[in-house]
Amino acid sequence: MKTLASLLVGIAMLSITTARAEMRTWTDLSGKTVEAEFIGTQGTLVKLKTSDGKLFEFDVAKLSEADRIFVKANLPTDPAALAAAIDQLVVNKMKESYYGLREELAALPQNANLSNAEKLKRKEEIEREMEMCIPNERTSDEQFLRRIYLDLAGRIPTFDEAEKFLADRSPTKRAALIDDLLDSEAFAMRMYNYYSDLFRIREGVFMMGNGDLKVDPYIEYIKASIREDKPFNEMARELLTASGHIADNPATGYLLADSGMRLCNLSNTFTIFMGTEITCAQCHDHPFEEVYQMDFFKMASFMGETETRMRGNNNSMMMMSMGSNSRAEQERMGKLLKAAGKLRENDTTDRDLSGWMGTTNIQVHDDGSNAVQLPHDYKYDDGEPNMKVEPSAYFGDIMEVSEYESPRHAFAEWIVSPNNPRFTINTVNRFWKIAFGIGQIEPVYNIPGHLDGQAQNYELLTFLEEMMKDLNYSTKDFFRVLYNTQTYQREAETMSPSLAQMDKGTYHFPGPVLRRMTAEQLWDSLVTLTTANPEGVTRQGAQKYKEWMHTDTTAFKTADEILAYKSKWGEIGRLTKYDGQYVSRDDNVGGEAMFRASEMRQPQQPGHFLRMFGQSDKQLIENQFDDGSSPQVMALLNGKITNSVLTNPDAYLIKEIANGRGSKGDKVDKIFLSVLTRYPESNEKSAANSGMRARTDSGMSDKQKMEVEAKAIGNVIWALVNTREFMFIQ
Amino acid sequence: MKDQLKNLDQLSRRKFVARTAKTALGVSVIPLANGMQAVQAAGGGKAEHCIFFYMSGGMTHIDTFDPKPGTETGGATKGIDTGVAGIQVSEFMPGIAKRFKDVALVRSMTQKTGDHRGGSYWMHTSYGPRATIVHPTMGPWAQTLLGKKHETLPDSVLIGGGGGGPGAGFFGPALAPLPIGDPDKGVQNSRPAQGVDEDLFDKRIDLMNTFDESFQRKFKNDEVAAYSQFYDETLKLMQSEDLDTFDLSKEPDVQKKLQNYGSGRIGKGALLAKRLVSSGIRFVEVRGGGWDMHNNLWQAIPQRAGELDKALSALIDDLKAEGMFDKTLIVLGTEFGRTPKINANGGRDHFPRCFSTLFAGGGIQGGQVYGKSDKLGMSVEENPVTAGQFNATIAHALGMDLNKVVYAPSGRPFLVAGHTRDPETDAIVTEHHPIMPFFS
Repeated sequence: MKTLASLLVGIAMLSITTARAEMRTWTDLSGKTVEAEFIGTQGTLVKLKTSDGKLFEFDVAKLSEADRIFVKANLPTDPAALAAAIDQLVVNKMKESYYGLREELAALPQNANLSNAEKLKRKEEIEREMEMCIPNERTSDEQFLRRIYLDLAGRIPTFDEAEKFLADRSPTKRAALIDDLLDSEAFAMRMYNYYSDLFRIREGVFMMGNGDLKVDPYIEYIKASIREDKPFNEMARELLTASGHIADNPATGYLLADSGMRLCNLSNTFTIFMGTEITCAQCHDHPFEEVYQMDFFKMASFMGETETRMRGNNNSMMMMSMGSNSRAEQERMGKLLKAAGKLRENDTTDRDLSGWMGTTNIQVHDDGSNAVQLPHDYKYDDGEPNMKVEPSAYFGDIMEVSEYESPRHAFAEWIVSPNNPRFTINTVNRFWKIAFGIGQIEPVYNIPGHLDGQAQNYELLTFLEEMMKDLNYSTKDFFRVLYNTQTYQREAETMSPSLAQMDKGTYHFPGPVLRRMTAEQLWDSLVTLTTANPEGVTRQGAQKYKEWMHTDTTAFKTADEILAYKSKWGEIGRLTKYDGQYVSRDDNVGGEAMFRASEMRQPQQPGHFLRMFGQSDKQLIENQFDDGSSPQVMALLNGKITNSVLTNPDAYLIKEIANGRGSKGDKVDKIFLSVLTRYPESNEKSAANSGMRARTDSGMSDKQKMEVEAKAIGNVIWALVNTREFMFIQ
Repeated sequence: MKDQLKNLDQLSRRKFVARTAKTALGVSVIPLANGMQAVQAAGGGKAEHCIFFYMSGGMTHIDTFDPKPGTETGGATKGIDTGVAGIQVSEFMPGIAKRFKDVALVRSMTQKTGDHRGGSYWMHTSYGPRATIVHPTMGPWAQTLLGKKHETLPDSVLIGGGGGGPGAGFFGPALAPLPIGDPDKGVQNSRPAQGVDEDLFDKRIDLMNTFDESFQRKFKNDEVAAYSQFYDETLKLMQSEDLDTFDLSKEPDVQKKLQNYGSGRIGKGALLAKRLVSSGIRFVEVRGGGWDMHNNLWQAIPQRAGELDKALSALIDDLKAEGMFDKTLIVLGTEFGRTPKINANGGRDHFPRCFSTLFAGGGIQGGQVYGKSDKLGMSVEENPVTAGQFNATIAHALGMDLNKVVYAPSGRPFLVAGHTRDPETDAIVTEHHPIMPFFS
């Protein structure tokens, strides 16, 4: 049970000490000076300590420029120090809130405005909220291990990974694990899943007959950006300004997702990069914010020159050898095939070939003329229907469009500018939500116009904003800090934040909220139970696609060459094992392709396990869901995964872990550690042992025995996977 | 001014949390049923159920319900009399011809787009696809505007087609049509897996409860409770007779009936749909495919159209025999028609400009054709009907209020058959109206 004492202890432990102690002279704008040591910052306050130990706080805006530069250069970037600063802000807020609530509780009996029934209700609310103002216990190593794997690797730890961490005696093993996971391929896959929901990365964006524009390069670009820790502002800039074909410049995938829907794309860009919902203003002045329809169209004009298709024969950037007449080249190849009798009646692959090649026309470029105009029914008096407007922004930097390569480039700079009041806030709020389950501000796609004075932890939010800037938008460093906080490493909250708390932002993070695994986390965890190396199979289509698109087809003189070229198309999206071999049906477990969600079809077909559990259809931003349903429960009770994949005698968990590794270790222990990342309690152990008793007899063949035994172990695995403990991240 | 804005800001946020609560707890949207009297006064509201046949791929109009025999676009397809003077359907629809007094055709459908996905989206939602919102289909609209029809069974079901498409749109997954991929298999995973008998199943459930005890004791979160409730309900469902509703093999005389309906996907889908609406489910979509006939149309059409004709005919007869015909609306739709001009491969290509749909039962006055195509089936000559009007007709038959504004979680207003602004009052009103001659 949580006690007030833990709140107080928590505070006492959290005073930051920095190694940058150094006495210097500080000057404020009025010329006054003080000899002091720089302690740190909190929000916009600079904390100083004089030699006699007195503490001072100054607003950074009141300090001289030299002082401000010094502060900027000496901000702590050590993850532990930053994490401690966050913890302090979190605990301060909880404390403040706790005492405020306690006062309200004390005054409640005297409140003449409330009836007795209302008082009673309010009393319960206050007590509940007070309970949630006390920091939760620190997680056990098992809890931390499971959660950090799900958050950073996107899956539960394997048996070996779990054993290794739990056996480690180092006091810094948590920080070390965070570092390792941030640099793992699993992190790239996990973050890709997040971005693919945010940016709506899907296959078949452009269908040309049966051939489509491949998204493999875009997928690989996102993963590479995560791997190399490209600053988030840099990634945003690239996505907004990329030109050309997706095979050559994969970041064009971002704009291609909204091809032909320029105005929707503007709304989406605002939502994704600024947490701002301006769709309303597309049709009329925004009812809740100071955004006018004219503002919307002025913003849209920044992207007004950007097209996603090349017109006519102006597609010579690709397939150079074909010159400007790709259609003639396609016909030539068709004839060659026909002459050689290699085209079957009713075979559509000749059409496919032209479809595949036809995607050369899909290119992002700026054509120099603004296609955006006010709507035909524009009704305000600051413009005429169908009128063109000049690009300009209604907040943030004033952009001089002519100084940039194109209006689109100006727009991208405006978005990522440090002076954009929404870009960094949005980024830190979204990332905070990834780690803690809910944002500092909810909903994350609609940050209110006036942040200060709302009930959120404004100081923490601005601290995170500054921290992100100081960390130069490094995603890995930002997460490194968040995951090193005590706040993160506390147990998950055992109550759901109330609607009022969500609404007013008065959930102050006594620990992360309890979350259901995302569809991808759930799937990838099941994959972890079926294979020794969950990241061993990947999709490597980007390079092959590029080569295919750049092949000089005019050099083909025989039908066989053309057929070979066609068959290469089919290889582009194929999954590849770590040894370079293509994945085949033999690599399935229990008849199911158990590979990480990020490597498979984007998104999966409707009806696939992933979609049933809420994988986004990638039609809308953040369209995944974590609501339960009967079909989900039926899939876990009666479906293939729990009944013939995990319980297959060849499944990794049974073959290598439960039955493998000689006779060492207890089977039940091994299964519990693999599935729930913890060892069983004694009552669980005896239940499991009786549940796995296999009824074999001497008349059975070895194979029959193995199957009966696997099925018996399968009972326990089935039961564990069906627990809420498995499905929720504590 | 600033304070006022802040308040409004809070208001929109509150809407968001209210919605979050609803979906998290699986609580369905509160019925908004009103205006039903006005609908009934206008001849609508007689249908309690709807079976919507959706022919994916683009159903050729000239070779089904709008034949042009003897013209340059008619091809090899002949017309046959329907018993209603001056109205013919194609030779591939003999059952419908015989039952034409119960059937109403629209021959003046027109669409804006010739791509399958876009066309299908318009037909299912009355709106064009957008990258910022997904609009709901008619089943979820009916549940929202009319309330849930049956206590335990879902309100809408989608048979065939793998569950793709806009579904419940912004109403959220709780209202999504229950997908049944294969009519023979019923609800996916609703029976214990092979080799798991009742004893073993119970033993596993006991194990699960033992293993989960400490976690459930500790976490009192709503989301955990919601999942536990889904487990309880699903276990109950697995033992209940409700599940039999989805089991085609439980239909009395099923083999004999399938001889009438046809034992292909459409036939089985139609029979299952009949079974579902008889049990109280409101909206069933039966999806059929194979209509994208770019090549050798006349090789494919006898079977494809034949199956459809058989299924529709048997369904009409069956519903009549069961006294369900007048309260069950049957609708046939598709994303577009096919080019009157026959292409080099003996097929027809995509043709959104003019195509046909069909209505029957549920208070629809049969024996009539609304709208007219020109001599060659190239364009609409009379009374063009859009996807919005098509859906307005469905909504009107079911008794939905076309002018009821429903707000998406983002605060944007939507109506069941598209919306526009009344030029005089500036109020948000329906963009499309039902085909009223069908209701006289």
